[in-house]
Amino acid sequence: MSIETIVKEFSAVAANPKGQLKAYKDAGKKCIGVMPYYAPEELVYAAGMMPFGMWGSNSKTIQRAKEYCATFYCTIAQLDLEMLLDGTMDLLDGVITPTICDTLRPMSQNIRVAMSEKLPCIFLAHPQNRFADFGKQFCMDQYDHVKGELEKIAGHEIKSEDIAKAIKVYNKSRAARREFVKLASEHCDVIDPIMRSAVLKAAWFMDKAEYTEKLEALNAELKALPAAKWNGVKVVTSGIICDNPVLLKVFKDNNVAIAADDVAHESRAFRTDASEEGDPMMALVEQFTNTDYDILLYDPQSSKNRRGEFVANLVKESGAQGLVLFMQQFCDPEEMEFPYLKRALDAAGIPFIKLGVDQQMRDFGQAATAIQAFADVLSVQ
Amino acid sequence: MSIYTMGIDVGSTASKCVIMKDGKDIVAKSLVAVGTGTSGPARAIAEVLENAKMSREQMDFVLATGYGRNSLDGLADMQMSELSCHAKGATYLFPDVRTVIDIGGQDVKVIEIENGMMKNFVMNDKCAAGTGRFLDVMARVLEVRVEDLGDLGDKSTKEIGISSTCTVFAESEVISQLAVGTDKCDIIAGIHRSVAGRVSGLCNRVGVRDRVVMTGGVAQNHGIVKALVDQLQHEIFTSPLTQYNGALGASLFAYQKALKKQQ
Repeated sequence: MSIETIVKEFSAVAANPKGQLKAYKDAGKKCIGVMPYYAPEELVYAAGMMPFGMWGSNSKTIQRAKEYCATFYCTIAQLDLEMLLDGTMDLLDGVITPTICDTLRPMSQNIRVAMSEKLPCIFLAHPQNRFADFGKQFCMDQYDHVKGELEKIAGHEIKSEDIAKAIKVYNKSRAARREFVKLASEHCDVIDPIMRSAVLKAAWFMDKAEYTEKLEALNAELKALPAAKWNGVKVVTSGIICDNPVLLKVFKDNNVAIAADDVAHESRAFRTDASEEGDPMMALVEQFTNTDYDILLYDPQSSKNRRGEFVANLVKESGAQGLVLFMQQFCDPEEMEFPYLKRALDAAGIPFIKLGVDQQMRDFGQAATAIQAFADVLSVQ
Repeated sequence: MSIYTMGIDVGSTASKCVIMKDGKDIVAKSLVAVGTGTSGPARAIAEVLENAKMSREQMDFVLATGYGRNSLDGLADMQMSELSCHAKGATYLFPDVRTVIDIGGQDVKVIEIENGMMKNFVMNDKCAAGTGRFLDVMARVLEVRVEDLGDLGDKSTKEIGISSTCTVFAESEVISQLAVGTDKCDIIAGIHRSVAGRVSGLCNRVGVRDRVVMTGGVAQNHGIVKALVDQLQHEIFTSPLTQYNGALGASLFAYQKALKKQQ
C-alpha cells in the first residue's frame, strides 16, 4: 500500500472514533473506555476486549457534563463525560478512570454518579511513591482490582499467558510508534503535522495488533524514501494533547515540522515498555513505576529539574530549533510545571512559545500569529 | 527606477495601509476604523492609493499583516505575522529599539529585538483584559469616547483599584463604582493602571530592555503610557505613526521581497 493510502486509513479512524467503536461492537467485541493516563490497557486486551482511548473531542461543546463539574475544570475530562452522557460512547461496556491528577480523581466519582448503573466504572489509583516496594505493592493491588472488574465484564478469567501475549503486542506497537515519530521527522516533507497526529491518534481506537501491522507497513515505506530536503523549521511539541487538524494546519502552512514530541496523548504514552519476562502482572506494574519525566508523576528529586532538562535535551537531540508548548486550559499540573520547564529551556538557550489551547476552541487566529512569528524567529537563528 | 511597496495591516478593529518608496520614504498612508471581515481593508487600500495618486498595478509588492492578513483574496502578494512586521516597523522608527509593546484591538504583544531582528516574543492569553477591546468596553460603560480616555484620566485626584483579571468582572466593578458616585476620571485612571498591570506582567516574561517603544492604537492613550512607565520604571517612546507601525513594517518587508523578485 502507498503512504498516502495508509495515512488516509489512519486519518479516517482518527476522525471517527464513534464509527470505529460501532465497527468493533458489530464484530462482537466488548469495548472498554480508557481515560488518561497510564491505564494498563494490556489487561483489557488480554481479556479479549477492545480498549478505547478517551481524550475528549475537538467537535463537541460541553453542555451536559457541566451539571457535574466545577467551572474551571479540565476540558478533556469534561468532554469524556459529555460523550458518555450524550450517547457518543453509549456502546462502551465499561470505562477505566485513572485518577493521577487532582481533576481526574473527582472526575472518576462524577462519572460513577452520572452513569449510575448504566456503565461499570473501574476506579484506578496509581501510587504517588512508585519507586518504593510499597508503591509497587499498591500498584499491584490496584491492577488486581482493575483485572477483577474487567473479568466481571468479560465474563471470564484473564489468564497470565494472555497478559503476557498482550504485553508483546503492546511492546511491538510502542516500538513501531517510536520508530514512526523518528521517521516522520526524517521525512517531514511527506508526513506533515496533521498526518503525524492522525497516525498516532488512530492507535487509541484500533486493535493494537492490527494498528501495528499497518504502521509497520507505513514505516517500511517511509524508510525507503530518500532523505527529505526540508527548507522549513523543526520544533518539539509539548503538552497534554495537540490533535486539532485546524491548529496543526497552521504548522503545515508555515513550514513548521514536528521533530519529536513530549505530548501525553502521543510519545509520553509509548515511551516505556513492559518486560516480557517473569510475572506479567508485575511487568505491567514495573512498566508504570519505570515511567519517568512526566509532569503527573512524582519525582523525589524534583529540585534537580530532571524533567525540564529531559525536554530540553529532547529538543537538542531531535534536531529541532525550538519548542511549542500547548498549555491545556485549566490544567494545573502543566501550569505549575511551566516555570521549571522555562528555566531549563532558557538555560539551554532553546526558544519556545506557549500557546493556550482548549478542545472547545474553534478559532486559532491568535495561535496562527504566534506560530508564524515563531517560525520567523527560528528561521533566522 | 524607484520601487513602490504597500503594507496592509488588517487588524481586528482598524485597517491601515502604508505605501513606501524604495523602502525609505513614506509616500502615503490611510486608516479606516474598522478591521477584518468589514469593508475596512478595501477602503483603506483604495484610500492609500488615492492619497499616493497611484494604482495597485504600480505597486511592486504588496504585503499583508494583522489578524485579517489571510482575508485579502489576491489583493496582497504575500502575508506575514504582525509580530514580525511590528518589530520591523519599530526598528525603522527607532533604530536602537530593544523592546516593543504593541497593544492592539484584541491582543497584546511584547517583542524583544536584537540587532534589528525579532529574537523573542510573548502574546497575551486568549483574554480581552489589557487589550484595546478592554478600553472600548470601559469607554462605552463610562459614556466617553475612547480617544478622550487619556485626557480624562489626567484629571484624576483619587486612586481607585480596578481588577485586571477579566474584562467582564472589571466592567461590573466600573458599574459598581459609577453606582456609588465615584468620579469618572478616577475610574479611568484606575482602568489605565489595570491595563498597565496586565501588560507589564507580560513584559516581565520577556524582560524589558531600553529602548522601549510602544506601538498600536492604544499607544495614543498617554494615560496608559504613563501608567506603564510607572510600573515598568523604563522610559517609553511612541511615534505619531504608532498606529501605522504594522503596515509600515509590512511595507518594509515588501520592499525586501520586491528586491528579491528583481534579482
